[in-house]
Amino acid sequence: MTDTNMITNLVEAVPQFSGYAYPNERTLHPLWSALIVVYPYVTGLVAGAFIMASLVRVLKVKALEPIYRLALLTALAFMLCATLPLLCHLGHPERCFEIMLTPHFSSPMAMFGFVYAWYLMAVLLLELWFDYRRDFVEWSRTEKGLRGLIYRAFTLGVTDLSEPALRLDAKMGRFISIVGIPSAFLLHGYVGFIFGSIKANPWWGNVLMPIIFILSAVVSGMALCVFAYLFLCWTRRVVADMQCLDLMVRFLFYALVLDASIEGLDWLHKLYSAEEGIETMKYLATSKLFYTLLIGQACLGTLVPLVLLGAMQLGGRGVAELNRRRIYFTCTALILTGVLLMRWNVVIGGQLFSKSLRGFMTYKMEFAGPEGWWLPALLLVLPFAILTVLIKYFLARELPTIENVVPGATPPGRA
Amino acid sequence: MPPQIVRLVLLTIVIVCLYFTARHFFVPQSFGKYGHYRGAAIEEIRAREPLWAGRKECETCHSEVVEKLAKADHQGISCETCHSPARGHVEDPDVVKLPKMNAAMCARCHEASPSRPKWLHQITVADHYPGSCTECHTPHQPKL
Amino acid sequence: MSENFAQRSAVKSQGPGFAGASPYRVKNMTRRSVLRNLAGIAGGILAMPAAQVCKAAVQNGLASSNAPAGYDPTRHKWLMALDVDRCIGCGMCVEACQKENGVPQDCFRTWIERYVIKKPGPESGNARGETVVDSPDGGKEGFPALPVPKAEVLKSFFVPKLCNLCDHSPCTQVCPVGATFDAPDGAVLVDKNYCIGCGFCIQACPYGCRFFNPVTHTADKCTLCYHRITRGLKPACVEICPSQARIFGDLKHPVADDPLQRFIANNKVEKLKESLGTGPQVAYAGLDEVVR
Repeated sequence: MTDTNMITNLVEAVPQFSGYAYPNERTLHPLWSALIVVYPYVTGLVAGAFIMASLVRVLKVKALEPIYRLALLTALAFMLCATLPLLCHLGHPERCFEIMLTPHFSSPMAMFGFVYAWYLMAVLLLELWFDYRRDFVEWSRTEKGLRGLIYRAFTLGVTDLSEPALRLDAKMGRFISIVGIPSAFLLHGYVGFIFGSIKANPWWGNVLMPIIFILSAVVSGMALCVFAYLFLCWTRRVVADMQCLDLMVRFLFYALVLDASIEGLDWLHKLYSAEEGIETMKYLATSKLFYTLLIGQACLGTLVPLVLLGAMQLGGRGVAELNRRRIYFTCTALILTGVLLMRWNVVIGGQLFSKSLRGFMTYKMEFAGPEGWWLPALLLVLPFAILTVLIKYFLARELPTIENVVPGATPPGRA
Repeated sequence: MPPQIVRLVLLTIVIVCLYFTARHFFVPQSFGKYGHYRGAAIEEIRAREPLWAGRKECETCHSEVVEKLAKADHQGISCETCHSPARGHVEDPDVVKLPKMNAAMCARCHEASPSRPKWLHQITVADHYPGSCTECHTPHQPKL
Repeated sequence: MSENFAQRSAVKSQGPGFAGASPYRVKNMTRRSVLRNLAGIAGGILAMPAAQVCKAAVQNGLASSNAPAGYDPTRHKWLMALDVDRCIGCGMCVEACQKENGVPQDCFRTWIERYVIKKPGPESGNARGETVVDSPDGGKEGFPALPVPKAEVLKSFFVPKLCNLCDHSPCTQVCPVGATFDAPDGAVLVDKNYCIGCGFCIQACPYGCRFFNPVTHTADKCTLCYHRITRGLKPACVEICPSQARIFGDLKHPVADDPLQRFIANNKVEKLKESLGTGPQVAYAGLDEVVR
């Protein structure tokens, strides 16, 4: 019997922990709280949505053309909010600029400032600009007032719409997409590396962590694109393009299979090699994280969508389009929740046991107060609000379908 | 050069220049002196005023007590361990006096416990003597 | 005259690069452009001292120090060693540290752990029974009665814990801004005027010796009483310990009959969690395999 088994008798009469926890671990709230759960979730959605968009430009998957702009705008909406959870969590947010001025290059967190700035400016905004440039020029001529001013500002003063210019736009868009894929992996992979590099914590410190983060990010981002597309079609009372939708879901399914395999491999390896701390981690997974990990992330967030979407891949033709859309909607909602729970299980789960491997901590999550869950909830809702505004300004009334979409053509006018 | 590229290159140059200007102004001067940190931090951390005076300070005035202690079992113990921080007293001995000692102090170290090493003299206070420790033992020469 | 004027204006309004530009325009632009360049250069030269003043003001506002200079950290190498067989669990060191450094309640720069190893069950086939560890309020008030009945105790002892002064500190490695660092003299310190409070170092320390200070909103940890040792005093915990369980010294300048040198010469020593590769330097004598 290993000495690092969890201790069942309560030695010290304090509610915050059972067994033994180092005195500095006995805090009321985990150090990296729900805000740090939201941050990787948001950047993961950004990376995943961008990958979906680059399937169109890089792999030239024509059938996905209708959701190209929606995917990019989704990525942008979430990217704009990505720093907020971090800023709210810092002990000294007013010193946040230090991470850009004196980055400590041995720290994975130090690359945040540059990776974020690079991805936002050199990848996302630039690709959007090259795709929208022609529309900005045309809209700036037709729109009046504030809207017209915004469009004119976004043209950056470049009004050349000649054939060579448009060809250059398309070429640049493709080039940035290609550069953007490793950038997206870096944007989210470094977060996985932050956790994977912490050898002090066996729940976090392993080599598969960055891979698992990236893969679940791709899954969540793709699921968000499908979800947003279905939702948008529903609000605009437009029939979704089934060819596009089926193809999106097929890519989502492949990504989900890959993600589930790697996460399964991680657990298989942990259980097989049974290193020190395995008893603690088994207890964590089966007791403290039973609902969020086994039920929420594994069953509802992974297995159920795998089975349903897998069935759709095999016999989807036989299912009526309406039912297929309902299944897609349900599965993507489950996946999105499951990936959020995965972030929760990683971040909070890693802080639920003592580094002495002898005890477990208990935290209470309140709604109100500086540590309350109102703030992470707000920061999760905010990107959707921003996306609504972006769609209003930048995505035409009628979503383009595969029949009438041609890259660079004048979009249907706003109704 | 296509106009889009020109605009973008100009914008990039402006942003990079802004970054380096900010770096020039905002990175603290002593940063990098000994390593990737503010060298001035070492002096700032040093600047805190010590609280415990240390046994050597007591020896300056109370040398006869220290000599007596040197022959007894408590010889290795710092005076402030039992007599509380003495910085104020060292600086102004006539005005700042140390609080009176009480016998509860003895039990803190000498209450018997299986966790305590065998070389330590330990007693179960309740079984040993109901009154005060100092009725029989002198703290500075505790052996009877 | 007016025709010349009109001609000049017309030429100007056609913008630069217009073929057949009048010599008047060239002369005007040249003089103007030269004057403009000269003004720019003069302005730049005048702006430099102004920029220096601004920079000094900004930097003073951000972080300045009035501490006396004169300590060279490269000429010392501090080390603390712990003799587990000498620790009596009185907790005076925890109290001394808290008073010396103003450590907030429920935060610990050093603490004592009590290990109680129970006797094995009669038919269990084990050499030892379960291990129970506790550290009530870090051991600050000493330790209350045993958590298990005395008859069940096989072995019990106290272990003082603190920053392990790692050679390859995982905590300083992960600081994103350079606010925590390995000083050249072995101490691992936190610059509380630069720390952004992200908590990465606290997560990275395997020994649990770092904490988030609720008063300064920065990371905090044992500083080896840096303000004392650089003045020739001993750390508060070493000074106050009544049983010489904590030993401290300067490896680069050992004193006569140096207690640290004696400790290293007379004891078999062990470090905590060495397999993690952090290179801990704090040496323990008398450790048991149950200590984490």
